[in-house]
Amino acid sequence: MNCPLETRENAALLVSHAARELAPDMAVRLDRHVAQCAACSQFIERQQAVWEALDRWRPEPISPDFNRRLYARIEELDRQASWWHRLTSPLRPMPARHAMPIAATAMLLLAAGVLMDRSRVPAARPVQAQVEMLQPEQVEHALDDMETIRQFDRAMRSDSPDPKM
Amino acid sequence: MALDYDAELMLRVKEGDGASFAVLLEKHRSSVIHFVYRMVQNQAVAEELAQEVFLRVYRSRSTYEPTAKFTTWLFRIATHLALNSLRDGKNQRYEDRLDEQTEDQPARQLADRRPSVEQSMVLEARLDEVRRAVASLPAKQRAAVLMHKYEELEYSQIARVLNCSESAVKSLLFRAYETLRARLAYMA
Repeated sequence: MNCPLETRENAALLVSHAARELAPDMAVRLDRHVAQCAACSQFIERQQAVWEALDRWRPEPISPDFNRRLYARIEELDRQASWWHRLTSPLRPMPARHAMPIAATAMLLLAAGVLMDRSRVPAARPVQAQVEMLQPEQVEHALDDMETIRQFDRAMRSDSPDPKM
Repeated sequence: MALDYDAELMLRVKEGDGASFAVLLEKHRSSVIHFVYRMVQNQAVAEELAQEVFLRVYRSRSTYEPTAKFTTWLFRIATHLALNSLRDGKNQRYEDRLDEQTEDQPARQLADRRPSVEQSMVLEARLDEVRRAVASLPAKQRAAVLMHKYEELEYSQIARVLNCSESAVKSLLFRAYETLRARLAYMA
């Protein structure tokens, strides 16, 4: 076996060996080499010293009220979520994919309404008068309705679920 | 891919089972807090960040998909928060804490071995050297060493947590241990 210290990639094997991560057959082969190689032997010894030094570092005790604090925050989160849910409940049950057909239907109804309104205009009235009747109110209403539909669509989109992180 | 038990628990949390969340919390609380503590070296900050980790787990329950081992996902969140905290300098640096220690403060005792005062001082000095050596590592190397040494995560898991390849993880670890050998090998 070539000396693992010849390349960094193979030297990483010695780190794994010191951490006892190698498969048994590989560990045996490496042990045979280390027994004859002073450099590898020293490397393993130093790596094991690091391992033992790190073992001395015990973590601090955890605060006894850690769980209580966490559950209080979760409760608060749930409370806020519930408040938000109630506020947005008229929109929430409607999946976003249903918004488009509803918007299209609303548009059709609006268009039909405008047409029916036009059809009620007496035929004898001059063209000028018809244009005056349609322009200020109906067009404004139609624009308002379209804006309402847009806002509704935006609300539905912003209601989509949060990303994972 | 077979689901690990933790992922199954998380799927139950997704369905509204609070008891499964409690099981996950009990199972992983210590490892998350200890990992974050060793990253930021400040217990109060570590607990605050660990709370955020579990809050994020809870908040994400409705969108959770078991695409990786649960612990990989958990440590990904923990590492992300710890690295952000280190980057933003929110935690009090370990060196600052050491400077605050006055001479009349007693050295920490290792209760199980009942060492003499001299032994305690030597042990404490060595422990400080370990902490300082780990703190001196670049943040990603530090995270890799802590996950490898203390949490015993596989290379593939560490790679997913740190969003890099397995060979990059091996390289990170090799460089990190090289630094630690230079600083700590004399303790043998």
